[in-house]
Amino acid sequence: MGPGMTFSEPETLDEVCSLLSKDPEARCLAGGASLVAMMNAGLLAPTQLISLRKIPDLGAITSMPDGSVKIGAMARHNDVAAFSGFLGAQRIISAAACRIGHPAIRNMGTIGGSICHADPSADYPTAITAADAVVSILGSEGARQVAARDFFVDWLETTLEQGEIAVSVTIPPDPSNASVHYEKFTRADGDFATVSVAACLGMSDGVVQTFRVVVGGVAEKPVRSPEDEAVFIGRPLKDSDIVEFSAALEALCNPIDDMRGSADYRLKLMPRLISRALKRAQADQLVSDSGETA
Amino acid sequence: MTQEFSAVGLSSARRDSSEKAGGAAKFADDYSVPGMLYGAILGSPIASGRIKSIDLTEAKTVPGVVSILTADDLPDRRVGSFIKDEVTLARGYVRFVGEPVAAVAAETKEAADLAAQLIIVDFEDLPSVCSLDEALAEDAPLVHPGQDDYVRTSETPTNGNIFWSASILEGNPDAVWDSCDVIVEDTYETPGQYHAYMEPCSALAEPDLAGRITVRSTAQSIFYIQGRISDELDIPMSNIRCVAPKIGGGFGGKNGVSVQPIAVALARASGRPVKITLSRSQDMEMLRSRHPTRIRMRTGAKKDGTLVAREAELWFDAGAYTDESPAVLSFGMLCSRGPYNCPNISVKGHAVYTNKLKAGSFRGFGNPQATFASESQLDALAVKLNMDPIELRRKNAMKAGDHWLGGQTVDSCAMTQCLDALDERLKEEVSALPPAEEGWQRGVGVSGLSHISGLMGTSAFVNLRADGTVALQTGVVDIGQGSDTVLPQICAETLRLPLESIAYAAQDTDSSPYNWKTAASRITYTAGRAVMQATVEMRERILRDAADMLECSKDDLELDIGGTVRVVGADRKVSFREIAARAFNRVGGPIVGQHAFAFDGPRFDPKRAAMSNFAFDNLGVYVFGAVGVVVDVDTVTGKTIVQKVWSAHDIGRAINPQSVEGQVQGAVVQGVGYALLEELVWENGRLTNPSFMDYKIPDGMDAPSEITVMLIEEAPEATGPFGAKGIGEAPIVGVAPAIANAVFNATGARLTRIPMTSERVLNGILSL
Repeated sequence: MGPGMTFSEPETLDEVCSLLSKDPEARCLAGGASLVAMMNAGLLAPTQLISLRKIPDLGAITSMPDGSVKIGAMARHNDVAAFSGFLGAQRIISAAACRIGHPAIRNMGTIGGSICHADPSADYPTAITAADAVVSILGSEGARQVAARDFFVDWLETTLEQGEIAVSVTIPPDPSNASVHYEKFTRADGDFATVSVAACLGMSDGVVQTFRVVVGGVAEKPVRSPEDEAVFIGRPLKDSDIVEFSAALEALCNPIDDMRGSADYRLKLMPRLISRALKRAQADQLVSDSGETA
Repeated sequence: MTQEFSAVGLSSARRDSSEKAGGAAKFADDYSVPGMLYGAILGSPIASGRIKSIDLTEAKTVPGVVSILTADDLPDRRVGSFIKDEVTLARGYVRFVGEPVAAVAAETKEAADLAAQLIIVDFEDLPSVCSLDEALAEDAPLVHPGQDDYVRTSETPTNGNIFWSASILEGNPDAVWDSCDVIVEDTYETPGQYHAYMEPCSALAEPDLAGRITVRSTAQSIFYIQGRISDELDIPMSNIRCVAPKIGGGFGGKNGVSVQPIAVALARASGRPVKITLSRSQDMEMLRSRHPTRIRMRTGAKKDGTLVAREAELWFDAGAYTDESPAVLSFGMLCSRGPYNCPNISVKGHAVYTNKLKAGSFRGFGNPQATFASESQLDALAVKLNMDPIELRRKNAMKAGDHWLGGQTVDSCAMTQCLDALDERLKEEVSALPPAEEGWQRGVGVSGLSHISGLMGTSAFVNLRADGTVALQTGVVDIGQGSDTVLPQICAETLRLPLESIAYAAQDTDSSPYNWKTAASRITYTAGRAVMQATVEMRERILRDAADMLECSKDDLELDIGGTVRVVGADRKVSFREIAARAFNRVGGPIVGQHAFAFDGPRFDPKRAAMSNFAFDNLGVYVFGAVGVVVDVDTVTGKTIVQKVWSAHDIGRAINPQSVEGQVQGAVVQGVGYALLEELVWENGRLTNPSFMDYKIPDGMDAPSEITVMLIEEAPEATGPFGAKGIGEAPIVGVAPAIANAVFNATGARLTRIPMTSERVLNGILSL
């Protein structure tokens, strides 16, 4: 802890926003999985820690009447991973949640903390982008909603303005009942991804209904291209299309060399992992199709 | 031996297991004493430079700061076991990022850390060399321009940044290459590895009013630390008392000094106790690593697999100071033939200065590097010869009576039995494993291995207590390997007492008999021998007194389990308690035993081998083994998972089998990390991964799901306690080459550089 750091535990979100708006160096403390690690490593020295522990219901996970699922910012990774109300493409969220860090981290870390940290190698940014999720933001100026793919701006940077806090993530329903596969490549167990792929694939009568593929770890934020995804809709899933799709995504990548792998390796992994993720998702579709037939 | 054992061969629980599991065990940093200050160290921010000035003005203004030291406050001495090139705090020059430049003692840790950050050092940047290539380049900047003026234990030739070169020659390889049917040749590269002990280095130095100082620190030897503090700070050893707390692992990383001399200097300057505990990142940046190496090797064999010749040249990247490099290099060279006979062999080796962290002792001590090259090469030979890899090794395996490279006769050797045991298990169990996942390819790889267990001096005292129990003292620090349990087991067995009857004292240079270090896999064999001989001496006295008391000949007596001497075949007996009571009070005085020796095995044989500049000539009691692995390689990503390991060890006798298994399993996992994950990476002279966030060691999920340990007790060591030999290092030695050979077996890609990261494996597969 820095010499002048203060700690508070407000009981309302308004108080949180008010504290945040007055101090650009204040930080919200959710599970602490990222923030405290950054502080321990000497990478961050906030002037204020605002604990969200006492805000009521901020960790709730709720199935809404329209089929969407609303995940409170303080929902722990393990609770998200275990939530059984996700259907179809929504399941990419739990598939990613259960791959975050180690069990101890999943007991502490929260979805709000993870997405606001905005590490492009983390699991949630990629997954909520693939889920077409919407992030609800509250600020001293009022509330707003931002699509996940617009929420992430740069390395460790989100669209949040000073005085704002992300309060929940809403996962829209998926009538196509897509299959999902979260393919995460790490050097070692529990590490951040070198490259990760969140894939949602819905097929009906042999043609693609839903196709969303988002890649993490290869740029400053999750990489997604709705235009290139649109090509797949209404057609059978073909290997040659996947190859072209991967090549198109590569143009959007901006990978770095770090201890988790070289930029070159990341670009090598990307098409390979996309292809594997789609094959696994497709296999699940076939299983559920044959299940319906029987 | 058909006799029933009282203590040896039993898997007694570690004597400190409850204490450690319950959190009661105290490690160095757990100690706090009244008036204690906290120390902090300022490490160099640059890899190479001249110190123009140091400004302490601002640092001194931090509230709570008591003392600040730079080299000017310390005796002007250079120290080192082989070359005296090291100083306590940088004097005039810095040679690696992290090298201690100044030290602060303050009332709080925060104040000490802040003051250290506020010390302003004005450096003149100098060019640096941060790899073997840079250091060996023509006109490379010199890490130690004045190295020829340093005091050295041996006048070995130097050349640029090469500060030690040695060679060994047996037979005449140059004359026989033409007679070989197959030859393989390659260059192998191995990384700097961090010891990753659980407990970062820590020392607490407490001065007293009589001018003595007590040092409680995490280290592999209390006596070495005492001597080193004495040498660095010019304090007589009589005024330095080193005591051992519990130690959280060492693996060679605590073989030398860490922060003890700095803590002592601060304690003397302030007149108060000072504790320094390094953070994990400081520990990684400031202390030592395994030597990165490059090894060029060439091997020739006959069609039937008989080895004919080998030639090797080894370059060890030693970092900025000599430390133990000449010994590590020499040992790596001695292991360059491995546990096989080969009549013509030439090995050259060089230790090279670079502007990096010191490289030093690390589990295996040069042997894992040499064995990676050697066993990769045997595998390549087996492929060329279309021969079973175990069969090739069996054909060339050493046997009792054969000679180690250098000419020592090996007395106990179960190499062939280890290969046989491995062969049998692989044949039975590999095909029974569930198949690899879709997209993954499976491979099997093996390696032979060997190491030593006899080295240097040690001693032991025992004395009989009034109630017939026994007190044992040695100078051996238990760094987690289990000697606090195993040495008392040896003592107990020699007297046919249960383990509970032996009290074992914590180590203290004021009262413990001398031991060199907990290193070189030497404790069970070398210190165990001293314990056994000291106990035998005491046993002789017990039997002599018993003979007096029972009015018979000593030869007619035997020991019953539990502290009773009995006349063979009769119902006449006397207890240790009765013997002790008589001795203490009436006849002969207290019953004690002691033994001291320096390892006394066969020396190198100049008639067999021409050797120059080896750092030692007195080591031995070789151990042998064989390891097999099954790996699955993901052809999509290159990721390699070690599914199962079988590790067979010529242990002589396992004093505590479960403890031995633990050593083997731990070493195998550390070997898996070395093979697949672990690599210290420098960029522009700076270590880029000094944390467990970036430097990954295998966790429970990365470790093989099963490690089968086979203890081969068919070749007891005649000089060892109950036949025992060492086990601490051997099981890591063959892991990396076995995995590399398995990756080849799975994919056809021969990786000659470790760690075999997924990226390197995938590139290997893609370039086939």
